[in-house]
Amino acid sequence: MSELPATVAEEAESPAPLKLAAPAAKRKPVKAGARRQWNWIPYVLFFAVWEMFSRLNEQAALFNPLFLPAPSTLVSDGWDLAKTGIIADSLIASSIRIVLGFLIGSCAAVLLAVLMSKFRRLEQWFAPVLTLVSPIPALALLPLFIIWFGIGEFPKVLLIAWTTFVPVLVNTLEGFKSVPSTLIRSALSLGASERQIFARVLIPSAVPNLLIGAHISLGLSFSALIVAEMMGADSGLGYIIVDARNYFKITNMFVAIILIGMEYSLFSFLLKLLERRVLAWRKGGMGAAVEKGKTR
Amino acid sequence: MKLTVDRVGKSYGDRIVLKDVNLTVNEHEFICILGHSGCGKSTLLNMVAGYLLPDEGEIRVDGQPVRGPSKARGMVFQDHALFPWYTVLQNVAFGPEVQGVPKRKARETAERFLRLVGLEAYASHYPAELSGGMKQRVGIARALASSPDILLMDEPFGALDILTRDMMQRELRRIYEKLRPTILFVTHSISEAVYLADRVVVMKHGAVAEVFEIGIAHPRSYESPGFGEAMARIERLLMDGAGEVPA
Repeated sequence: MSELPATVAEEAESPAPLKLAAPAAKRKPVKAGARRQWNWIPYVLFFAVWEMFSRLNEQAALFNPLFLPAPSTLVSDGWDLAKTGIIADSLIASSIRIVLGFLIGSCAAVLLAVLMSKFRRLEQWFAPVLTLVSPIPALALLPLFIIWFGIGEFPKVLLIAWTTFVPVLVNTLEGFKSVPSTLIRSALSLGASERQIFARVLIPSAVPNLLIGAHISLGLSFSALIVAEMMGADSGLGYIIVDARNYFKITNMFVAIILIGMEYSLFSFLLKLLERRVLAWRKGGMGAAVEKGKTR
Repeated sequence: MKLTVDRVGKSYGDRIVLKDVNLTVNEHEFICILGHSGCGKSTLLNMVAGYLLPDEGEIRVDGQPVRGPSKARGMVFQDHALFPWYTVLQNVAFGPEVQGVPKRKARETAERFLRLVGLEAYASHYPAELSGGMKQRVGIARALASSPDILLMDEPFGALDILTRDMMQRELRRIYEKLRPTILFVTHSISEAVYLADRVVVMKHGAVAEVFEIGIAHPRSYESPGFGEAMARIERLLMDGAGEVPA
């Protein structure tokens, strides 16, 4: 899709005789769809190898077979667990926590970034404090949060919000600072007010950085979620793991671990979708830089 | 519209960028400012645009001193400075829109100026999908769409290849003859200046060295009588005495 306009552009601009002189430059059409196709073989292979190894281990007993149950066992045990309703409850509880924490954290970060870039004084006072507290791993704060706020939902959401907050803030601020000055100048010369420049120039050019921050935050906030659920919670995927450890139900542990992976992938995919929508104007990267020829 | 640059000076610390620059631009005039890199021509243009303020003297438009950027002075940048997150049409409609023109009408204006530069077929493309010359044409359309009194162009074709550059010069001349805007055009190419301008202002070491009236009839080409002579005279002036400081 991105190929067509560029080719048309070149043809529109280069004079006709030159085009005739360089017929070899004509590109082969590339199937863009081929690379996008869902590559499922590695997934299947991964689980097949795992299944085989576990089944072999049940016979050979290289170690206690309970330590590494086969995927098929996990599916049947997971299904039993799902029938009790624990999985659905945990998924909902964890999702609510992560969505709430993530949204609160990023909104607060964007808001503060906007204020900090607008008011120099605020940045002067806030930036040193941030460099002081931002390197502290959020997990170190959790026991303190529990003492301060109890074991309810609030400290968990707050912990996730805090983990989200720092990367989003730092990256968004960086985005505001790296707006090319000619863009601001041209907006000024076209008659834009300061507010219009903010909404139409500064914000859009900070969005790519904001999304980078959001991606970093998502990974961090998931670990915050799980740890928060392991300490003083009675629901959630992290809780399933702790509970399974206490009763030595290793299959449950694996089920929770896999669900965490799946939920993270889902959220990461949603964020990617959002990114693709918001950054439709961006062209670049390896795919655009070098066209891959057909493999012969 | 009359632009007056009155005894303008500018320096950064000890480095004097401009000193005692005088220049008058009348309505419908096409003026090129020509000089080596670092001669202060871009600084002068940025001051006319209102991005920089003069240390001495004053720049006036119709008697009113320039105090900052304004929609009355449109700018075309060398790096085109199109908003990458807007389509071509949205870029051109930006000026009218922020000035309060209703969305439908701003769109119509934008479409009209896209037709003028021959890019109506690319209205829904993003700037990243266009070639350098096309981006620059969008830049020109965008600056014109907010109907400025004077069009300022800062080496707009400097980053283009030579063939595209020739084509863009013809294109700009065609647009100029159609709309008759006032244009202040900065370049370091002698042939570009002689091809485009009514008057060529040659700058050296932060001062105006000489002003050449180019009386050659349009359409001009290298073969036009007087074209080669004008280029030779300007070149002699530019090459003459690199260390000498003109009064």
